[in-house]
Amino acid sequence: MPDIHQSVPKIDAKEKISGRMTYVADMRYDDMLYAKTVRSSQAHARIRSVRVPTLPEGYHVVDHRDIPGKNVVKMIFDDWPVFASDTVHHVGEPIMLVVGPDKRIVQTLVDAIVIDYEPLNPTFSMTDSVVNYHYDKGDPASAFKAADTTVAYDYETGYQEQAYIEPQGFIGTYDDERIHLIGSIQAPYYVKNAVIDTMACDPDAIRVVQATVGGAFGGKEEFPSLMGCQLAVALNKIKRPIKLIYEREEDMDVTTKRHPSKTRIEGAIKEGRITALRIHIGIDGGAFIGLSGVVLSRAIIAATSAYTVDNLDVSGDVYKTNTVPNGAFRGFGAPQMIYAVEMFFHHVAKHLNVDVHDFRLKHLAKQGNHTSTSGLFRDPILMPEMIERACAMSDYHTKRKAYANPEVYKGIGMSWFLHGCGFTGSGEAEHIKAKIKLEKLPDGLVYLRVAAVDMGQGAKTTLMKVAAKTLDLPLERIRYENPDTDLVPDSGPTVASRTAMVVGGLVARAATKLKKTWIDDEHQVIHEQYVQPDYVRWNQDTFTGDAYPAYSWGVNVVEVEVDKTTLEVEVKHIWSTYDVGQSLDDNIVLGQADGGTAQGVAYGYLEVMRHREGKLLHKNMTDYVIPTAVDMAKTTTELYNNPFALGPYGAKGAGELTLVGGAPAVALAIEMAIGKRVHAIPATPEYLMEVLHHAND
Amino acid sequence: MVSHVIPKTYAEALTVLKAGNHRVIAGGTDMMVRHRAWAGLPPLFDKPVLFAFTLSELKYVKEDEQVICIGAMTDLETLLHHERTPALLRQVIAIMASPAIRYVSTLAGNIVNASPAADSLLALYALDAQVVLESTSGKRILSIEKTIVGPGKTVLHDDEMVAEIRIPKTRFTHTMFRKVGGRRADAITKIGFVGCATVNEGIIRDLRLVFNAVAPVVVREKSVEALHVGHSVKNVLSDTDTLMHHYSEHIKPIDDQRSNQHYRKEAALRLARHFLDTLA
Amino acid sequence: MPTINFTLNGKPVSLNTDPTRRFLDVLREELTLTGPKEGCGEGECGACAVLIDGHITNSCILPLGNVSGREVMTIEGYRETKRYRVLEEAYIAEGAVQCGICIPGMIIASESLLAHNPHPTDDDIRIGLSGNLCRCTGYNMIVRAVKRAATRGKGLW
Repeated sequence: MPDIHQSVPKIDAKEKISGRMTYVADMRYDDMLYAKTVRSSQAHARIRSVRVPTLPEGYHVVDHRDIPGKNVVKMIFDDWPVFASDTVHHVGEPIMLVVGPDKRIVQTLVDAIVIDYEPLNPTFSMTDSVVNYHYDKGDPASAFKAADTTVAYDYETGYQEQAYIEPQGFIGTYDDERIHLIGSIQAPYYVKNAVIDTMACDPDAIRVVQATVGGAFGGKEEFPSLMGCQLAVALNKIKRPIKLIYEREEDMDVTTKRHPSKTRIEGAIKEGRITALRIHIGIDGGAFIGLSGVVLSRAIIAATSAYTVDNLDVSGDVYKTNTVPNGAFRGFGAPQMIYAVEMFFHHVAKHLNVDVHDFRLKHLAKQGNHTSTSGLFRDPILMPEMIERACAMSDYHTKRKAYANPEVYKGIGMSWFLHGCGFTGSGEAEHIKAKIKLEKLPDGLVYLRVAAVDMGQGAKTTLMKVAAKTLDLPLERIRYENPDTDLVPDSGPTVASRTAMVVGGLVARAATKLKKTWIDDEHQVIHEQYVQPDYVRWNQDTFTGDAYPAYSWGVNVVEVEVDKTTLEVEVKHIWSTYDVGQSLDDNIVLGQADGGTAQGVAYGYLEVMRHREGKLLHKNMTDYVIPTAVDMAKTTTELYNNPFALGPYGAKGAGELTLVGGAPAVALAIEMAIGKRVHAIPATPEYLMEVLHHAND
Repeated sequence: MVSHVIPKTYAEALTVLKAGNHRVIAGGTDMMVRHRAWAGLPPLFDKPVLFAFTLSELKYVKEDEQVICIGAMTDLETLLHHERTPALLRQVIAIMASPAIRYVSTLAGNIVNASPAADSLLALYALDAQVVLESTSGKRILSIEKTIVGPGKTVLHDDEMVAEIRIPKTRFTHTMFRKVGGRRADAITKIGFVGCATVNEGIIRDLRLVFNAVAPVVVREKSVEALHVGHSVKNVLSDTDTLMHHYSEHIKPIDDQRSNQHYRKEAALRLARHFLDTLA
Repeated sequence: MPTINFTLNGKPVSLNTDPTRRFLDVLREELTLTGPKEGCGEGECGACAVLIDGHITNSCILPLGNVSGREVMTIEGYRETKRYRVLEEAYIAEGAVQCGICIPGMIIASESLLAHNPHPTDDDIRIGLSGNLCRCTGYNMIVRAVKRAATRGKGLW
């Protein structure tokens, strides 16, 4: 087999291009029923009564009273009900399912159900903290005392919707007293474990299978557990196949999104350097906490992004509001913080009237430095050459001089960033404990038994390449089917930029073992389990130690032109350099780079979602605008090889890294073009018009 | 029960409409979305539907010396590439929706849909388009302004349908079209502007300023335009504030999910000012 | 109910059903052609695209009545053509496929574009694909795939 980074045809490309690939909405059973969700129309209210019309033969309603186990969806923080019982906490909160064979009648029943609410006072502001984290590094108090000057700025970010093109969906059957769920999901075992708790049943009674996923981006990490639990309750009651597919508006209205945030950063400056930062980030968790605490962890750990600052006082809160719950989205808290930090470094340099580039370089993290959480950057950091290369590719220095003239309305912005690979802190070792299996059949075919989901990012192709190369077999001899919890051990959810590095690492180790013990014509099974590297120490209470075993690094340069009359932003080109360790397939990594950057840049200037009194104003693809092919700029991307000892062939994470730097890069470019500071994203023409009228510089 | 009809001929369509019980749909791009039900179920139309899009008699572009006549069921993609389509209209159509939508959209549909944000209406207002309405009792020819009376509201009778759109041939020395959407393609307009003018030896001979998405209907104030015709560009440019003040009264945008009133108003006036600057 | 006749992937079809039904539902549920996907249900994303008389159309907002007398080709018919094979090779070689849900629609858009403009510039391609949303790729690899198909499929379009 050639070098691992050389691209191969993606394993599932032909099936997808030809329209033969089956997604969950394409599946059907002969005696299948359809489910539709009845939802709260209120942001916060007590349910006085629910009046259901007489149900025709064969039609059912399923609600909280049908749950055999706990009425809570098992997540990181278990506060999310499967069905609302006496109180609703956000518009769109599920109250019951109506299930039956004819959609027309199901819809008529849904429309006829009358719910009587007693309104309660809703909260929409970020005031009600439900999670609070804090950590210090060094001695921030003394550094602030000793400072020549201090500077403080505020930053805001809005919602972002994953906008996968395939809405969420499940289909389920009930056979031999077992519940079988097939869904568009990122984490088969999250769904299975949640259903077990809801059904209070034996683990063997639940089987979860991943259907081909039509895009996820974090949106199918925890939310499908809710749908899976609801469908399981319905299957248990009705015992016929049921299909539960969301339509676009329903999906956008009720599924999790990226948390809106507000960040305040205060810097202590001494002798032209930032000696300490005091940072507070607040994120809007929505009505239930779910994963928000973990999102907050990643946000606060990203406090210094690609810089080193010796003294830190970092804190954050998750606020509960009566709005749609927010959750996982590619980047997981880091995009909000990295946007704020990058803007802050620029704004401080401007305030000090020093060259921004030199000022940033002075603070750039180096191998051997302490991380924000007082861990260690152990591995080589290639950022100086990656930055220099990105500057050369984009002609950054020439352009930033030329665009300093406010009359040209052009700008170029550059972001530097990192992303921790894998679960935060002790997550891998204590919570996930990933297991995988390699199964060789007598015919010589080798099956990867992993729970990792290919949601388009190419997990199948890359992990199969790792196995094939290690076993020195052609790719055709390796098999990797969509995970089925009856067949695969729990290798963890497909999240946190962990699949290539952690699951891929286990595949490589198992393949090495299999190769050593290979016996022709025999059925052989190799088990592997994740072992935390000794050096990774983490204290979750104090947020100190190595938050991640490895970091991926990146540089984005974005060039824009702003229309003088209307303040519309056109992105002209995006240049990037990335260190993702060793690329496991160049086309796949570049595809992640293009797609992640598109999402990250659009987060910074294009994608708008707001709510009014808890009702989202942008809940379809017409109103929630994502980039088209015309909006997306050309990209030039170069990958740097910087193998990580414990990743397969040196691979680190690539999925999230490519998103996190987009927003600050485009916001900085816009700032240069209009000659005013940008403190909020998305930097829409409406926002820029306001900035031009009200801001001083 | 009255049922849906797919007429074979235009005459049959008019006969069906006579009873006034049918809703005409052309390409259906707006109606199918507005009336949609749960996926898998038919849309919920308030009346039986008459499908007009397949009427080949209404697919044409003709011209005489003064006027270009566009059959009501001519799709926008055909218009986009048709040599007789006025340049301004072509420019507007080019950035409307997407190819897939343009192949099944019609000017007639845009007119009857009467959205204040419709792009094609900008060009039709600027070009003094006339709309031919027809029923079994005969034809009515109305200006576009007289046809559309409010958001989603037209003067069409229940037994009428749009037969043709007539666009007088006009030459301008200056035209400008700008659409501000949420993105660069396939977007609904936040605010749109068309400016047309003919300037001869420094004197404004013709001036047309049209705005959409800033009021319940497309804004074109002929009385304001008339105040400036016959004046020198220099004069007009020396006091654009007065002109802007006139428009300020008619540009009354709203806050919605796509933009806000402040931005819409300011962007609209800036575009108009920008157009006037190009006349110099 | 009026009877609706049309050609589907080269074969005549005659249906006696409500003509206001979304053509996408007729394809997926009545005719079990699941290549066209539902992404948005309002003509915005293009995942449901089919060719009507050779032009790209969003089947999710196309009433069955408007298909009367016309030639329909879905990805299921198109994949049997020579042009398809050129596009397939190009999409694979350029790494243009990620989650894949938009891809059958993208292929239809690519065909409609190339059929009307066999030698498109990059900008032509972007405009031609502007009604087909992809959330995974950022489009550049898809644009390159169409360009590659245009070059390699000389004479086919």
